[in-house]
Amino acid sequence: MAGIYVHIPFCKSKCSYCDFASFPDKLCFAESYMACVYREMAMRESELKNYVFDTLYIGGGTPSVIDEKYIAMLVAAVGKHFKLSPDAEITIEMNPGTVSSGKIALYEKSGINRFSVGLQSAVDSQLEDIGRVHNLKDFLNCAKLLKGKNFNADVMLGLKNQTCADVEKTITVAAEAGASHISMYALSVEDGTPIYTDYLNGELPDSDEVAAMYAAGTGKLAELGFERYEVSNFCKKGAESRHNLNYWRRGEYIGFGVSASSCINNVRFTNTFDLDEYFKCILSGHLAVKDREEIDKTGQEEEFIMLALRTSRGLDLKEFEKLFNENFLDKYAIALQKVTGYIEVNDGFLKIKDRFLFIQNSIIVEFLQAV
Amino acid sequence: MSKKSNIRNFCIIAHIDHGKSTLADRLMERTGQVSERDMEAQLLDSMDIERERGITIKLTPVRMFYKAQDGEEYEFNLIDTPGHVDFTYEVSRSLAACEGAILIVDASQGVEAQTLANVYLALENNLEILPVINKIDLPSARPDEAKKEVEDVIGLDASYAPLVSAKEGTNIEEILEDIVRYFPAPGGDENAPLKALIFDSYYDNYKGVILFVRVKDGKVAAGDRIKTFRSDKIYEVVETGVFAPNLTPKNGLAAGEVGYIAASIKSIQDVAVGDTVVNADNSDVEPLPGYKKVQSVVFCGIYPLDGSRFNDLKDAILKLQLNDASLIFEPDSSVALGFGFRCGFLGLLHMEIIQERIEREFGLEIITTAPSVSYKVIKTDGEEIFVDNPSHLPPVSEIEHMEEPIVKADIYSPPDYLGQIMDLCREKRGVFLEMTYLDKSRVRLEYHLPLNEIIFDFFDAVKSRTRGYASFDYELIGYERSKLVKLDILLNGEVCDALSMIVHEDSAYTRGRMLCENLKDAIPRQLFEVPVQAAIGGKIIARETVKAVRKDVLAKCYGGDITRKKKLLEKQKEGKKRMRQIGNVEVPSEVFMQILKTNKD
Repeated sequence: MAGIYVHIPFCKSKCSYCDFASFPDKLCFAESYMACVYREMAMRESELKNYVFDTLYIGGGTPSVIDEKYIAMLVAAVGKHFKLSPDAEITIEMNPGTVSSGKIALYEKSGINRFSVGLQSAVDSQLEDIGRVHNLKDFLNCAKLLKGKNFNADVMLGLKNQTCADVEKTITVAAEAGASHISMYALSVEDGTPIYTDYLNGELPDSDEVAAMYAAGTGKLAELGFERYEVSNFCKKGAESRHNLNYWRRGEYIGFGVSASSCINNVRFTNTFDLDEYFKCILSGHLAVKDREEIDKTGQEEEFIMLALRTSRGLDLKEFEKLFNENFLDKYAIALQKVTGYIEVNDGFLKIKDRFLFIQNSIIVEFLQAV
Repeated sequence: MSKKSNIRNFCIIAHIDHGKSTLADRLMERTGQVSERDMEAQLLDSMDIERERGITIKLTPVRMFYKAQDGEEYEFNLIDTPGHVDFTYEVSRSLAACEGAILIVDASQGVEAQTLANVYLALENNLEILPVINKIDLPSARPDEAKKEVEDVIGLDASYAPLVSAKEGTNIEEILEDIVRYFPAPGGDENAPLKALIFDSYYDNYKGVILFVRVKDGKVAAGDRIKTFRSDKIYEVVETGVFAPNLTPKNGLAAGEVGYIAASIKSIQDVAVGDTVVNADNSDVEPLPGYKKVQSVVFCGIYPLDGSRFNDLKDAILKLQLNDASLIFEPDSSVALGFGFRCGFLGLLHMEIIQERIEREFGLEIITTAPSVSYKVIKTDGEEIFVDNPSHLPPVSEIEHMEEPIVKADIYSPPDYLGQIMDLCREKRGVFLEMTYLDKSRVRLEYHLPLNEIIFDFFDAVKSRTRGYASFDYELIGYERSKLVKLDILLNGEVCDALSMIVHEDSAYTRGRMLCENLKDAIPRQLFEVPVQAAIGGKIIARETVKAVRKDVLAKCYGGDITRKKKLLEKQKEGKKRMRQIGNVEVPSEVFMQILKTNKD
């Protein structure tokens, strides 16, 4: 498996929790930016000529905020420079306030077959509070346009004044609107974002309350027929995000655009977060890689464990042995003893028991100490 | 070599902060020992900790030459000494090497607790005392009252005391002349067999153990064969020298002189401060009297953070002891902390300094347990034992009764704060003895206090309740019968031996409750709920609960997040290394020190 990620760093406005590379005031550079992304792909073409990519993910920022013709050109450019398998999963992230039927039609025409909508909450006051440009009505309109299509709705936990009931309501709204996939994330508060002030003032739910919301959310999702396949991801049967599964199985991926990360041949590299620097590099015919890390065997093993244990399927014991030439259960016997009760082994997979997925770091660390 | 009659060996004694090190600096500058250009504030305080905290911990000797008004040149050997109550031992060591002592009294603060303690030490050693009134440059200086206090409280004639400002360098000349005039020249016989008192030592990686000595009789020079009373090993002197103020080689030391001897002594255990160096070929002499041996009053366990570094810790403690004979230790082990040492100190500051020196000078990370005092336990079979480690306390059924160490405390304060001080002493189970008005602005309070009540934060409390105006000193006066109990802490049902402490019955409940509350906050949430209980005997007296962790996850983990997630887990992994496993509960090393804060309100 291998995937392609393209980062579109533009937004209508910046949400209060956002610390991603997104530049609401630089939308006017969209055309030049996309030209650079096409150019960056051309630079990588020969290096990746033997790869067949199974997924393409257009994320951001808000990809739906730029003119849809650039998206269509983008998908075409990917097809031109790289081998994309015929049944490739092609996803685009959208803000419910920036869509139209024409836009979606062109997306589909260009080959996009999966949509990811940032709902976050079905409570308007909460949406306003975090600086989203949409409200519940926008989402419902957007969902109407996506009816019958394969789409995801993002739901956030831990917003100011949010209750478990709000979470359940949001999930119900998303499910009834036809989402086949729901991602449910706990808000992570980063220093330097506006929401950090709320955090400092103790206005955000504490970790126990967030845990309660997560429990309420998972209950609701199960009730509505969504299966958890990763700690924060739930879907109807067969609607898993293949692109994201690839990350958790340590597949390879190549990223284009500002701040995009790649992992090819056990080298992880990330492009600059600085838009100007990105332009400067690409326009002068250079790649824009800022950080580069070679992942040695130990690092690979660490990543394999921490990523696999995020998933409900768990860690594939046979695959582990194939990759690292050691029997997992033997090598980690002591750690396993420490976390017995929190894990289970079934059909060749070792997984964290469902009810402990939300405290997985404490469990994973036990294994990492023994790598 | 100076004539013996032109040598003056003296030290400076004072209450902490009265300007001892500054005066020493000034004397060195005036005698040309260091040029003004090279002058670095508090030259003799060479340890980082000393300069940072502005205190003197170690005594430091230095030699100076002074051309007096009588036209003669004199050799001065000054031994700078610490002022804090904890370091009385260091002071007594330097006193034994001197004939005179300059007593500094702060012109605005007058006689303080420690001043008195040091004066008595000096008198015990038959030293000539020269009072000096310092800090006359301060607006609040009242030199006449200070002089009167010296006469009234100490009973010394202060009429001739020089009035100086060490900071500004005023009247330093007068002190130099007084040193020549008032301090006697050293006695001793150059032609008698060698006898030199070791008053300090330290380990040099190239030269081995360096002995700081005061030669009382005879001579010593490179090539001489020497031995000490402690071991029978014979060493050949490689180098002798003086403190100028750095070690400066000088061929030979004779009776009356202060200097150092290097003799390729590799074994740290072979040397004891207070011992006498004699000539190996002529060793049929009596050792010099050592000096007042001081008893440890505070004890704590010191363990390496990384259990595999036990031997490094041992090496560090041995080397520190060479330099600081008042540090005592013995190997110890704890279920919770593994192998380490039980160490005895002269006081809390001394304990803190040692801990800090181990960490800084030897790069070792350590865990220390709550400080304890030494209790006397009278067993039912009549046997009397001393216990300073709560986990070594015999079972209750074998204890007839227990006694705790009591101190006599002198507190000097302006009258405005009497109420606060008396409240504090009452809280600490103090027994009021006497109150004396020294003058209208200063009162001396005398109390009997249990030592275990003052080892935690009494000093800080005195200072904070009196805005820093009061000073405090204490001396151990004996043991008193007391209702003491062992307070245990149970984590998830298991006793954690490193957290046990001996407390007075009346304060056990409060202490137990506070400990549980502190521990609840200090112990990170685990995968399961952890009850934290305090117990006396088998009886639980307080309980708190560390809730189970409910959220510990990086919610989002896609391509670019993987590095971040890895770093996060790496940090968590590092954090775990600083944890100690008690039963199945992981406890951060800092928690063992947390106990110290229980008395803070």
